[in-house]
Amino acid sequence: MKHSDDLRHLAECASCRQRFAENVVPFDAARRRERALNFAAAAARLESERGETADIVARQLRDTPQDEWPRLAESKALRNNAALEQISEEVRRRLERNPTQALAVANLAAAIAETISASAYPPLVVAQIRSTALRDRANALRHLGRLDEAYDAIETAESRLNEFPAAVHDRATIWLVKAMILAQLDHFPEAEQMINAASVIFADVNDSTRFVQAGVVHGNLLARQQRYAEAENIFRDLLTVAASSGDGETQARLHNNLGYCYVNLDDCTRANIHFSQSIAKFTDLGSASEVARTERGAGVVLIGKGQYEAGCGHLRQARAAFTKLQMPEEAGLCALRIIEALVERGETGEARDVADTIIDEFTAAMLDKRAIDAVVRLRKSLDADGATAEAVRTVHAFVESLALDETPAS
Amino acid sequence: MFASPAFHPSQEIQAPIAPPCEADDLEFGELYEGNLSLLVAIAVRKFQVPEVDAEALAHEVFLSYLKRKNEIRQLHPWLIGAICHACRYFWRQNGRRTDQLDQELAMLRPDPDSINIFDLLPSQLAVREVLDALPPRYARILRMRYYEGYTIREIADDLGVTAKYTQKLVGKCLRMAEQMYNAAPARKKT
Repeated sequence: MKHSDDLRHLAECASCRQRFAENVVPFDAARRRERALNFAAAAARLESERGETADIVARQLRDTPQDEWPRLAESKALRNNAALEQISEEVRRRLERNPTQALAVANLAAAIAETISASAYPPLVVAQIRSTALRDRANALRHLGRLDEAYDAIETAESRLNEFPAAVHDRATIWLVKAMILAQLDHFPEAEQMINAASVIFADVNDSTRFVQAGVVHGNLLARQQRYAEAENIFRDLLTVAASSGDGETQARLHNNLGYCYVNLDDCTRANIHFSQSIAKFTDLGSASEVARTERGAGVVLIGKGQYEAGCGHLRQARAAFTKLQMPEEAGLCALRIIEALVERGETGEARDVADTIIDEFTAAMLDKRAIDAVVRLRKSLDADGATAEAVRTVHAFVESLALDETPAS
Repeated sequence: MFASPAFHPSQEIQAPIAPPCEADDLEFGELYEGNLSLLVAIAVRKFQVPEVDAEALAHEVFLSYLKRKNEIRQLHPWLIGAICHACRYFWRQNGRRTDQLDQELAMLRPDPDSINIFDLLPSQLAVREVLDALPPRYARILRMRYYEGYTIREIADDLGVTAKYTQKLVGKCLRMAEQMYNAAPARKKT
C-alpha cells in the first residue's frame, strides 16, 4: 500500500491518519474541552432518549383517531428527537401506501419540531430535527402531487440548515428530495444539478444506499426526457454497485428500469431479459406483489411498442399472480389491458371472453357495483362491435380510480 | 409511457438499513478526542480554513454524526467526507459574505500599504501572478488586505489572532511576495 495524505487513503489507513493529525495544536484548550463535553452531553441525551422511547409513536398513532393526531403535538412523550425519528419512519412507511396519512403524520412531526425548545439540543441538532420534519412533509406533499407546496416545504427544510456547513449529509438528502420535486415540475436541468451535487456527497460519505437512490432518480429523470441511452448507462452502472453490495431489491428495480430503457431503445430482446431478471429477483425476495406489478408494467410497455404477444404474455402472468394474491381489482385491471390490446387488433371475440371473466371475478369478490357495471357496459359494446381501445382505457381508468378511493385509511 | 405504474422509482428517501457502525463500541468522548485533530488538520491543511473555524466545523461534524449514526456504515470515510464538504460549504458562505471594496471609495481613501505594493510591483497583472504563486494562506491574507479592503483588525478577527500579529503577518506576506517577484527570471532582466 502506498501511504499518502490523499483523503481517500486517509479514510482507510489509521497510521496515516495519525501522522496527518499530528502537530495540530489545539487553538484553545479550554474551548476544546468545553466542546468535547458539549458533544458528550448531546450524545448521552440522544442515546438515552432512543433507549427510553421504544415504540411509543406507533402506539400513540394506533390508539388515537387520525383526526385527533394534531393534538399529539402536545404529548410530552413525543416532544424529543427519538420520538421524531420514529415519526419520520412512520411517514416513510405510509408514503407509497397512503400518502394522505403520511402527510398527516408529517404535519404532526413538523408541528413538534418547529416548537421544540431551541435549547433542548445543540443548535445544529435542532436544525437537523426541524429540517428532517419539513423534508418528510415535502415528500408527503410530493406523493400527493401538491408540488408547489412540496417545493416550498423543501426550500424551508434546506434553509433550516443554512447556518451549518457541517450538516452535509442532511443537506444532500434534502437536495435529493428537491430534485424529485423539480423533476415532477419538469424543471429537468435544475433537478439534474441537484442530483449531481447530492450524489457527490453520498459518494464521499460512503452512503452507497442513497448514492444508488440518487442514481435511480437521475436515470428516471433522463428517461422522462426520453434520453434512454443515457438512462440505460446509469442504471447499468448502478446495477454493478447494487450487485457488489448484495442489494437484491435494488437490483430487481434496476433490471425493471433497464427493461423499460431497452423497450424504448427498440431492443425488445434485451428488454425481455431484464424484465425476466427483475421478476426472478423479486421472486427470490418473496415480493409476490412486486413480481405481479413488474409483469404488468412490462406488459403495458411492450404492448405500447407493438409487441402484442410478449406484452399480453406478461399481462396474463401478472393477472394470474394478482389472482393468486387475492387482489381481484388488480387482476381485473390487467385483464382490461389485455382487452384493450385485443380490441386494437380486432380480436373482439377473445376480448368478450376476457370481459366475461372479469365480470364473474368482480361479482364473486363483491367489488364496487359501479366497477362491475362499467365492465358490463363495456361487454355490451363489445357485443355490438362498438368498443374502441379508447373506451376500454376509460373503463380501466374508472375502475382504477374506484380502487384508489377504497384504499384503506390505516 | 415510461412513467407507467410499474416503473420502479428509487426506494423512499431515508435508509432504514442500519448495519452496525464501527463506532458503536466506542465511547463518544473517545470518538471525539480520537478524531478531532484529524478533522481540524484536514480543514486547515487541505482547505486552508482558519484554525478557529476549522475547530468549530469539526465540532459540528461530530454533532451532525449523532443524528445519523445509525445509518453510517464506516466512520472514517464518513467523517472525512463530511469535513471536506463542510469546508467547501464554509468557503462558499464566506465568499458570499465578502463585500467587494467600493472602487470610488478606494480611490478617495487609499490604503497606504496598497499604494506601496503597487509602487513596488510594475502592474496589477504581476501582482496577481505573484499572489497565485504564494502559499494559499499568504495569498488570502494579501487579497483580503489589498483587494478586498479589509482592515488589519478585520483580518485579525477572521484569522482569530491579534491585530499586532496580523500586522506582522501582512509584512511577512509582502516580503515573501517581493522575494518571489524578484526571483522570477524574466523580470530580473527588466
